[in-house]
Amino acid sequence: MNMKSRKKIFYWVFKIFIPNLILATYIISVLIYYEDIKLKTYILLICGMLIYFFTRLYYYYYKTGFFLWNNLKGISQVINEFKKGKFIFKESDIGEPIVSGLMKELITVGKQFDSIVSSQSDELKKFNEFYSHIICSINSYFMIIDKNDNLIYANEGFCKKFNLELDSITGKSLESLFYFLNTRLRIAINQVRDDVERDSIVIKNVHLMSVNRDSIIADLKLSGMVVNGEDQIVIIMDDITDRFSKDYHTSILSHLTETIGDETETDKLYYNILFGVTSGSGLGFNRAMLFLVEDDDLEGKIAVGPDSFEDAIEVWNSLSSTEIDLNAEYPVDIKPNKLLEKVQKFKIPLSAGNILTQSVKRMEKIHVVDASNDERMDKEMREFMEVNEFIVMPLISFNKSIGVIVADNKYNMTGITHQSIDLLSIFSFQAASLIESYMNLIEVKGEMKKLEERQDAIVESEKMAAVGRIASHIAHEIRNPLVTMGGYAKRIVKSVQQENSEKKILQSAEIILNESERLEKILSNVMDFTRPSKYIKEFNDLNHIIRDTYWLLKNVLSEKKIKLKLDLEKNLPNVKSDFNQMKQVILNLFQNSMDATPEGGRIEVITESDDENVIIRVRDTGTGINEDDPNVIFEPFFTTKITGVGLGLANVKKIIKDHKGKIYVANRDEGGVEFTIKIPLPVRENDDEN
Amino acid sequence: MKKKLLIVEDEESLRELYAEELEDNGYDVVKASNGKEGIELVKKEKFDLVIMDIRMPEMDGIEALGKIISMDGKIPVIIYTAYSNYKSNFMTWTADAYLTKSSNLDELVEKIEELLS
Repeated sequence: MNMKSRKKIFYWVFKIFIPNLILATYIISVLIYYEDIKLKTYILLICGMLIYFFTRLYYYYYKTGFFLWNNLKGISQVINEFKKGKFIFKESDIGEPIVSGLMKELITVGKQFDSIVSSQSDELKKFNEFYSHIICSINSYFMIIDKNDNLIYANEGFCKKFNLELDSITGKSLESLFYFLNTRLRIAINQVRDDVERDSIVIKNVHLMSVNRDSIIADLKLSGMVVNGEDQIVIIMDDITDRFSKDYHTSILSHLTETIGDETETDKLYYNILFGVTSGSGLGFNRAMLFLVEDDDLEGKIAVGPDSFEDAIEVWNSLSSTEIDLNAEYPVDIKPNKLLEKVQKFKIPLSAGNILTQSVKRMEKIHVVDASNDERMDKEMREFMEVNEFIVMPLISFNKSIGVIVADNKYNMTGITHQSIDLLSIFSFQAASLIESYMNLIEVKGEMKKLEERQDAIVESEKMAAVGRIASHIAHEIRNPLVTMGGYAKRIVKSVQQENSEKKILQSAEIILNESERLEKILSNVMDFTRPSKYIKEFNDLNHIIRDTYWLLKNVLSEKKIKLKLDLEKNLPNVKSDFNQMKQVILNLFQNSMDATPEGGRIEVITESDDENVIIRVRDTGTGINEDDPNVIFEPFFTTKITGVGLGLANVKKIIKDHKGKIYVANRDEGGVEFTIKIPLPVRENDDEN
Repeated sequence: MKKKLLIVEDEESLRELYAEELEDNGYDVVKASNGKEGIELVKKEKFDLVIMDIRMPEMDGIEALGKIISMDGKIPVIIYTAYSNYKSNFMTWTADAYLTKSSNLDELVEKIEELLS
């Protein structure tokens, strides 16, 4: 306790003592004046007063914090400290001696408060660190924007990915951060802003490209929040570029495999493969070129990529404004441009020491980082590529280089990452097998075409053979009567010179006459078969035709002692047919059966119908057909008869075929054959309507 | 003595024609309408020469030729047919002559005379 405070104490001692003294003096004066009091009483009174005084002094000073008001200024300082929310106050900071116990206590409490607060803030700091660790370590990028689309905060991942400094972008608008702002993103931001209450909005496969031309494909999640009364939007970006491009490539390739299969679309296929390399704008590369090995040369086939940066932006912008549908836009049509023109002019021999042919020969990818100083590059290639960095990826299929894909980032001028090289190499592998199988397909198709042509030629030659067969058959058929006729004619000439020749001449002439009639018959048979038939199709009752034919042949049948049994379905549906042609069919079949059936045999004719056909069966008990396939009997000029052209059953088959029907024959187990004819019923009216 | 010829031909009119012509040329003629009949006749009788068609029912000329040769290899056989394209094959079929049917039977008569002389 210094002098000053001691002085203060004395001041206060005096201050308390004086009123007491005045009161004691007054009481003693009154007592002296009115009472006769002994000295002893005075002494007692004075003692009492002193006791009172000291007791009071003691009470104030030690018990209740004597002279608290003396520290009023200090108290206001303490209160201000509390108001600040921290307590770094020192006793010495108070401009006056601390004489009050309460004040001291107050300061103690303040210090305790301070230690609590600071320990809590330590805790908070720890939490803060903890959470920022988490935030830093998650893959997603996020940014927070205010109601004016200005950036409040972006996490480290975001800044790193897009190559931006947080300090320099804070407070800047989204437009100034990105090259173009996806329309879907813009709509989503407005939706969140309009309705803060709503849950977050998710938009998928959004292409984002920063002002530094770094780009990603991301799924975005937008959520609104209110901080200090202000609307903010958190945008969380899930980078799916890799996954997306893999899926994209695979799906392009598989889609192409399914959709393109025509050899006329070779260029389109190549173009679409390359489109995969540059797919989704900044997803892949800016430009891609395809060179394929053709014999001993490496030829430029196709190229994809804009001619200028403006074109590039236009393409990217148009792509990003819609939901990227993986397949709908495939296959895309070739857009000719200068690059394509240039690449298609490219042709060098494989033996050239060019960087592309090197890649083909070694089956190795070549990543040129600095073309202007790369020894592998010659002047022409430098001029051709126009860029410093590019990648040459060989297309390897079945351990054979079939060409290369060359890709670069001419327009966004970002480096080629290992990631994109890896992706390209996977893609190239798939593309190579696609191209290979496509080429095989084309080859197979070519071969098939050749085969078809050859087959046509064979058919043609078979036709010729058939003509030959027909000719030789007819020749044979005709030769016998001709020889006979000629022979007898000669005999007539000889006979004329002899006596009694009339009878011989007559005989010979008769034979000649018969033979010439036979010749005519052969010819008309042949003509019948080859002449295109005209049909008059009406609804005919086949039962009726069969009965007619039966009556026609009745006499012949009984002569040959052949029984004919008709088993005809009642109410057999009429079929659309040519009456006379069908009669011809039935007659031919009857005759055929009659010829095959020995005397005493039996012929059975059955008609029946099902939902689709009217069926006629003709069964006989004849000799059967001694052939592996009994149906050869329908072949033209097949005959077992001594006389006959072999056109009867062929004609039957032709007529049935012209009626869209079917005919076949089978040997029966019990001997003889069964012919089956099926003639389709006309399609019902109401079926037509359906 | 008249030489005896066997004609195997399915076509009746031709058969008759040959027979008449050959009889006029002083031959004794026996007729068969197919290979089978022809062989039956060869078994029973002795012929100086056989004239045979190829395409015939029951047994064709080729089969009949083989059988006749196996029975009596010495009988001369003339294949007389309309199939001119078989000619080359007949070299191996050991017929003695191969002639294409023609209304000019002089060729046949000449061949018969040649083979029987």
